[in-house]
Amino acid sequence: MADRAKAPATRWLWPLLALPGTAWMAVFFVAPMYVVFAILFGAVDPILRQPIPVWNPFSWDVSQFGFVLEHITGADGFFGPALMRTVGYVAVASVLCLLIAYPVAYYTARFAGRWRGLLLAALIAPFWISYMMRMLAWVNLLQTDGLVNRTLSVGGLFDVHPSWLSGRPSTVVLGLVYGYVPYMILPLFAGLDRIPAATLEAARDLGASRFETFRRVTWPLSRQAVVVSVLVTTLPMLGDYFTNDLLSGSPETSMVGNLINNSVLTPGQTGQAGAFVVLILLVSIVPMVIYVRAGRSGADVKS
Amino acid sequence: MSPQRRRTSRPPAGSPYGPLSDDLSRRSLLKAALLAGVSGPSLAALLSACGGSEGANGSATGSSETLASPDNPVKWPISSKNPPIESGLKPKPGSTLRIYNYADYMAPGVMKDFEEEFDVKIRLSTFNDADEALTKVASGDLKFDIFLPSYESVGRLVQADLLRPLNQDYIPNVKNLWPEFLNPWYDQGWQYSVPYTVYSTGIGWRTDMVSEDVGARENPYDVFWDPQYKGKLAILDDLRSAMGMVLLRNGIQDVNTTNSDDIAMMRDQLLELRDKTQPRVTIAMYNDMPSGQYGLCQMWSGDAVNAPYYLEKDVSPDVLRYWFPSDGRGLVDNDLMVVMAQGENPVAAHHYINYLLDAKVSAKNFGWTGYQPPQKALKPGSLVKDGYVPDNLSSAVVQQQYFDNSVRLLQLPVATDNQYHQIWQEFKAGG
Repeated sequence: MADRAKAPATRWLWPLLALPGTAWMAVFFVAPMYVVFAILFGAVDPILRQPIPVWNPFSWDVSQFGFVLEHITGADGFFGPALMRTVGYVAVASVLCLLIAYPVAYYTARFAGRWRGLLLAALIAPFWISYMMRMLAWVNLLQTDGLVNRTLSVGGLFDVHPSWLSGRPSTVVLGLVYGYVPYMILPLFAGLDRIPAATLEAARDLGASRFETFRRVTWPLSRQAVVVSVLVTTLPMLGDYFTNDLLSGSPETSMVGNLINNSVLTPGQTGQAGAFVVLILLVSIVPMVIYVRAGRSGADVKS
Repeated sequence: MSPQRRRTSRPPAGSPYGPLSDDLSRRSLLKAALLAGVSGPSLAALLSACGGSEGANGSATGSSETLASPDNPVKWPISSKNPPIESGLKPKPGSTLRIYNYADYMAPGVMKDFEEEFDVKIRLSTFNDADEALTKVASGDLKFDIFLPSYESVGRLVQADLLRPLNQDYIPNVKNLWPEFLNPWYDQGWQYSVPYTVYSTGIGWRTDMVSEDVGARENPYDVFWDPQYKGKLAILDDLRSAMGMVLLRNGIQDVNTTNSDDIAMMRDQLLELRDKTQPRVTIAMYNDMPSGQYGLCQMWSGDAVNAPYYLEKDVSPDVLRYWFPSDGRGLVDNDLMVVMAQGENPVAAHHYINYLLDAKVSAKNFGWTGYQPPQKALKPGSLVKDGYVPDNLSSAVVQQQYFDNSVRLLQLPVATDNQYHQIWQEFKAGG
């Protein structure tokens, strides 16, 4: 009886609470996405060759999307290498990020003691400086007679002068790792910090070594945080183009973000940028689904 | 001499660039749709734009546009939609003048002086390449008063009705310009545009990073394909400049070629260049080469003149070199100033254009940007002597007679332009 009395109030309360979020999604995701589709499947004006969005899905023209798909594989597939590069760079950068971020977050959450606050502030510090500035700083450090090369050559003792900025994949990956690692540390820290100390103590009491405790308790409990932090860094990396522009600028390291940036700004090719956006979206939905499923199984464990 | 080139053929089947319309009424509809659809903030305008463009979707035929060239000088009609301003007006005190320009392409001091003298606030926005600029300008809602395009896009701007014809009463200082620019082929009678700078496209290098004398090669352009410079050079992120260079390397003086064999050859060599030397593709040569990021690059003459100011303190400016064919048979171009129809302060725009053509002001601007204005007072022969250009970069001076036999980049027919853009896209996607 009590349940039935409560029902009308809650029936409206929860949807009402979801309203701002739904409106936000509609205005800032669904509507822009529709514009992307309208341009991707739209027309091009004949003089300046600017895109003309076509809003009616029944008169959509798929030729621009087809053009992009056709040029991903096969003999004429000049987009293919850039897409593969993107996957490669982002995968390597994500793994490196995780290798760096996990120990740092682990240490901060478990062993930092009274330095914890300070360490956390230090971890957030890079956010205070614009991403662009941090990348431009690397340009200075890495140029041919920059600090890095001068250090490597120990003031002229050895003749080490790699040109870091001349389209090297390693430099681009370094830029990605450096740029995105703070974004990974924070969610990892939050996840590791949430693991109750009592659980770990219980594991030790029951005879597990430090390593066993980590392997059988800490790691499984932090797995969800790992998935989240990998996602929040990997997805923006997929669309990144300025790291590449600043640290390489060579077509040999073009990523999908560069393809988008180039085609958006090229008359007559704007629709193709929409095609790449849709492709990235499709590709990133897969890990999203994995994440949601991981979240669900995590919830099951808890209950 | 050559008849006005008109394009009537269909775009190739499966063209990725979307349908083009031939029908005039439909074309003006499209144009209206473009302008209303992108600039109009209201949803209604967007919807009406969609109504206009839908019908055009099915009919994929060619469009005709007027292409100006030295052999086919064009006098553009005066826009009926955007009438010239009345004579004798003064800019409103405290009003804003919006300028759209390349980065580092106008002296801040000159803008500041104008602000003080005319009590007008200047807001400068910058772009990286001509395509990007055209894309943003076409949206129409950025309200730029002055735009600095290259001359090959002026035809498109006029035909899209984006420009406001000049009221020449405001611009008496054109008398300071080289006379050939008072009746240029791309805009007969300078009804829409005034020249801003002249520049050549050549090769720049640093003798402390490149041991050979690039200019002494039989074909200096070959240097961009030389594997010993792999990863140590850059080419211009401007498809026409880069692709024109490939054609010139092969002795093809028609850098606006529509010949499919030439275009195929150009594509192959461009991709070969990419694989052999992995160039950086940028327009920041004036900064990157002096700072030591690379020692060899395709370069605009103005950037070469400007480069000494960006050198590190312990490097002598004598290391800089610039090569351009001494007979002038290379890429020589000029940039323009135009008044945009979308701007809200055309009066201040006219005053500012006149201000920039003042001999003293333009000399000051030249001193900062390195880009030479075609001013009578700045005689090419004496620029080195007067200290505007260092001796080792004397080849970066644009001689007036270059324009007699230089190679000019022209507006391409739409289909060819699409081909060029697609090659460039492939080039930039990396192999």
